[in-house]
Amino acid sequence: MTKRFGIRNLALILPALLIGLTLLLDIFVIETIVEPLVYLYIALGGIFIIYVISPLYASRRLVNYYWQRVKRNRLAVAGLGFILFLILLAIIGPFLTADPTAVSFEEKNIPPVGFTLKESIYELETGQFITRTATGDWQHPLGTDNKGRDLLAMIISGAGVSLQVGLLATGIALALGTLIGVISAYFGGKTDNILMRFTDIMMTFPFFLLLVLIVFIFGANLAIIVLVIGLTGWTGTARLIRSETLSLRTREFIMAAKALGASDGRVVLTHLVPNVISLIIVIATLSIPGVIVAEAALSFIGLGDPAVTSWGMVLRAGQQTLDTAWWVAVAPGVMLFLTVLAFNFVGDGLRDAFDPRSSL
Amino acid sequence: MKKTWLRDYIIRRLLYAIIIAWGILTVTFVLVRIGPTSPADKYLANLAARGQDAAQVIAAVEARYGLDQPIYAQYLNYIGNLVQGDWGWSFSTSMPVIELIQTHWIYSFQLILLSSIFAGIIGILIGIYSAVRQYSRTDYIATFFSFIGISIPNFWLGVMLILLFAVQFGLFKTYYDTSLPLFSLANLKQLILPVITLGTGMLAGYTRYTRSAMLDNLRKEFVRTARAKGLPERTVIGKHVFRNAILPLITIIMFDLGSIVFGGAYLTEIVFGIPGLGRISFNAIFADDYAVVVAITLIAAFLILMINLITDITYTYLDPRIRYD
Amino acid sequence: MTKLKILAFFLVAMSLLACSCQLAKEASGVFISGTSSGDAETLNWILAADSASFGYAGHTVDSLVAYDNEWDIQLRCAARDVEVSEDGLVYTVTIRNDLRWSDGSPVTAEDYVYTLENLMFSDWLNYPYKSDWQEEVDGETVFITAEVVDETTFSLTRRTVDTEFVYNVRTLAPYPKYIAVKYEGDVKAFTEAPEFNNLTYTGNLGPYKFLEWVRNDKFVLERNPEYYLAKDVGAPYFEQYTIKIFGTAATLHAALEAGDITYTGIDPEKMGKFREMDWLNVYTVPTRSYLLLAYNQRDNGWVGLKQREVRQALSMAIDKELIVEQVLYGFGEPAFSFIPKPSPWYMDEGLAKYGVGSLLDKEAAQERLLELGYAVKRDDGNIEVRDEEGRPLKLTLVTNAGNEVNEDVCHLIKEELAAIGIEVELKFVPWATELRKYMMNKIPGTDQEPRYNNGVGAVSEEPWDMLVILFNTHPLSPSGSDVFYSTKGGLNFWGFFNSQVDGLFRQAKSKEALDEEVRREVYAGLSVLMSEEQPVNFLAFQLANVGFQSNVRGLEPGINMGYNYHLWYFE
Repeated sequence: MTKRFGIRNLALILPALLIGLTLLLDIFVIETIVEPLVYLYIALGGIFIIYVISPLYASRRLVNYYWQRVKRNRLAVAGLGFILFLILLAIIGPFLTADPTAVSFEEKNIPPVGFTLKESIYELETGQFITRTATGDWQHPLGTDNKGRDLLAMIISGAGVSLQVGLLATGIALALGTLIGVISAYFGGKTDNILMRFTDIMMTFPFFLLLVLIVFIFGANLAIIVLVIGLTGWTGTARLIRSETLSLRTREFIMAAKALGASDGRVVLTHLVPNVISLIIVIATLSIPGVIVAEAALSFIGLGDPAVTSWGMVLRAGQQTLDTAWWVAVAPGVMLFLTVLAFNFVGDGLRDAFDPRSSL
Repeated sequence: MKKTWLRDYIIRRLLYAIIIAWGILTVTFVLVRIGPTSPADKYLANLAARGQDAAQVIAAVEARYGLDQPIYAQYLNYIGNLVQGDWGWSFSTSMPVIELIQTHWIYSFQLILLSSIFAGIIGILIGIYSAVRQYSRTDYIATFFSFIGISIPNFWLGVMLILLFAVQFGLFKTYYDTSLPLFSLANLKQLILPVITLGTGMLAGYTRYTRSAMLDNLRKEFVRTARAKGLPERTVIGKHVFRNAILPLITIIMFDLGSIVFGGAYLTEIVFGIPGLGRISFNAIFADDYAVVVAITLIAAFLILMINLITDITYTYLDPRIRYD
Repeated sequence: MTKLKILAFFLVAMSLLACSCQLAKEASGVFISGTSSGDAETLNWILAADSASFGYAGHTVDSLVAYDNEWDIQLRCAARDVEVSEDGLVYTVTIRNDLRWSDGSPVTAEDYVYTLENLMFSDWLNYPYKSDWQEEVDGETVFITAEVVDETTFSLTRRTVDTEFVYNVRTLAPYPKYIAVKYEGDVKAFTEAPEFNNLTYTGNLGPYKFLEWVRNDKFVLERNPEYYLAKDVGAPYFEQYTIKIFGTAATLHAALEAGDITYTGIDPEKMGKFREMDWLNVYTVPTRSYLLLAYNQRDNGWVGLKQREVRQALSMAIDKELIVEQVLYGFGEPAFSFIPKPSPWYMDEGLAKYGVGSLLDKEAAQERLLELGYAVKRDDGNIEVRDEEGRPLKLTLVTNAGNEVNEDVCHLIKEELAAIGIEVELKFVPWATELRKYMMNKIPGTDQEPRYNNGVGAVSEEPWDMLVILFNTHPLSPSGSDVFYSTKGGLNFWGFFNSQVDGLFRQAKSKEALDEEVRREVYAGLSVLMSEEQPVNFLAFQLANVGFQSNVRGLEPGINMGYNYHLWYFE
């Protein structure tokens, strides 16, 4: 058999090379500090190209057909629009706004544009309480918190964090879940049994308790949070993919590939996985919101990465000042809510488009 | 005939549950004990203030609770006690773990139970109505709101409810008062906000599941037959469609109970200061109180296993075609 | 007038009399004290190391002595003050003879001595604060000796003089010997003993008796009508006293505002709001805690920090009043040494007041760094601060994540130092990390057990330059701060070694300092020396704000305002 150097192989080699290069840089060039998340980005990006972009590109007409169907769902389009906006915000926003960590004690508790706040504060020189009136202005469209940090900047920084965590952790969970599901279904028998029992154990763990425990023990660090959510969140995917694959296993093209002498690994990776892609896309869209909320919840209870500004952390801070500066708790919550809503709309739309009768 | 296989099946499942529970116990135990933190950490600030040698005090405290032994010895010791029904001593709260759980489970239970009832009844009713009137204005509104309900992070909802109804309007106390009797209107009243917080997501979920399960069955042949026979619509929906839709519904509701509800209840307890098992375990994690963490994880896991088992058995009764081997 | 009428008149008169008697206070209501700082660990207080546990148990058992707001002694269990012999070595304590355990048996000197000798000094119990009762004799650490003199008298004997040991003695509280002997030697049984965990033995020793403890929720005490100190006046005047634990400061404040609780501390930032509520009484009182900026003088800190002049220059650039105003919302006072203003030993004279007035001067700070060779003067006259290798100076500032005040102080110091051209990198780390990676140290390459002060040459695992932390000091016995500032001090994690300071600390505890005038002079000298040496930058003493529902009477606002809490009442 002659080896074809297709896009798939390229996409497999490229990330490997990139990871190697980054590692070398990381080890030998001391000045560069490569975040552990970068490796994840590259690896998942590679997988994404092989298994999502390239098959989609290969079947452009089908994609177009589905797109026409998704387009009919107005909520899904609106959701997609919001997600794109959020991504843009996360990428471009930080260049346009102030540093989200920049503290300015002179600009404490400024309300959002259009609101006015009367505050009684203690003046040191006179030893008297004076009334201060703060009015929101366009300098800080969403107002500031009790350290004078710009809420808009914090929200934008939080968007980046949420999206990163959502995409990366879901990526890991899906990659794992798909692999385990497909292998389990394809090989069947003992393998299936062991893998599914393992899935059972993982499913039985009280998920959030485990999350809190591990993050507390190993430290609140974005990479750890992503890894933990990813490594524990694959069970549902594995089950769904398994049942989907079971119905594919006996289909002709798989039989044909096997008859032509393709190895098991090759059958799994090049024939089975691409054929559950539509299901994977739907699961991905529907599980991202859960991951985003999980990260926000962790930050909310004080286990967020202190090095980044995330929505959950802003919400936590805002909760402490509910009675004096309500907007600090409202803004990140609204964003979190809208983001989750948007992903749910899109996921719903995609599912309907792929399979109107399914009740995933 | 049926009885024997069912009994065997239950026994097998129970054994299986015990093995899984043991696995979970081990993993949790190891996780708590290998962490770099020590139960004495929280003393350090205070020790500093009183000018003590921290290292010496930490060693003393660890020795007192047997934490200076190698981890396998601690593990064997723990398992040995557990087999004899001794859940250990919670050193962060100074009481036997079993007593701690006995005092506090009710707070979690009432929250979950009331939320389930609230979400179950309203959610299923809306779902049925929505399905029967598919594509009506009410259906659209219900669908839209169910999306909102699913998407709203419950801990944020809790914070907002406190802000509005307790802080701004003063309709409720800002905290959960354990001195009120459990079976009293006052207790019910103070659970309103927590139940809405935990129940909203569940409610929205149940609405959606019911709707789609009902729609699946409405399209089926037997509905048309029943209608053709001239049965009243109420009977068709109630007896034929709903009864068939309830099976997948139970699965989903049970699955929810296992995963989502426990996580949600955990956060709800923290937001509202309800001293349920969630808050207890949360504090225990921060205090490295492994006996409590392991026990609560174990109980939660065991409940999930039992719920799964009961779901499966209910299945066989509701749908005699199903058999497990 | 018939007999009946006379009788009726008498009855009315008597009932009137009875009424006027009752106009004197009657116990009523539930006092609810709110907190958001977490639950206690145990009521078996001799095992506890956290302050909440001592606080809980303290409602049921009095210590020998309490202090009022002026630091005057209020006798509690002790019948007279603790007497110190001429040579400062023997402490004689006489306790009251009307103290009773719950079974009615008297509390005797034997109980106190047993608590010390058999519990606190024992090996099996591992009393966390045993070093309070130890002294160094000929290089060896030994316990003091306790002896029963008679039924109500016991003596404590030291072999070395420590002028401030008496403050330790006054905090002593007893365990009941008749119960404790049952568990002696068995730490597990002692830990789990129901009598100690439910405080069933406390008799008439405290104003309240234990009723209920729902973990992470509330701790409920009921009135002790037998309380030895106040049963004559019918005190305490609350039927119940409850400590209610809240998950967040926000709900705690809301509960005070709504009247759901009687008392709590108020965050400085919320004071403006709370003082306007006329159903509350709000007071500002001094505290014992002070914020400080530690300079790492060990080998893994910036080398400049080892020089006194450099530390002074940095302290000159940091505006303490700004910290008080911006971070503490005005509720604090600039600090210049470790002795707080409300302390009887406080002396203002001669203090080098870095960070305020004339010693707050950013330009002078730059000039000084230039003189020391840590800066260069550019052609336009601007001074640029440089490190020892001529690069722009960059310092790391550490504090524990989640502590708002500490974090805010760090942000402010970053701004202040940026103004003189020093870049500050902030590191907010979890408390345990701060302790283990930044504060604890050991000499590299040895198998030393990491401690907070392993002497010269020891360094922490992670390098750092500055660290913001909050310390408590005892206003009555400042010499206890030698653990922070003397060469051998167990908590001198920043590595400040100065023999002159060591000498003054020794002197403050020595025999001649038994004379209070001598001690005052020593402390005055020590304060001045510390304010000049700047082992750390003393930033500010905190003031606390407390809020009560306005129907609470009998309050005496001050640093120890709880000293007469058994006499508070509802109007």
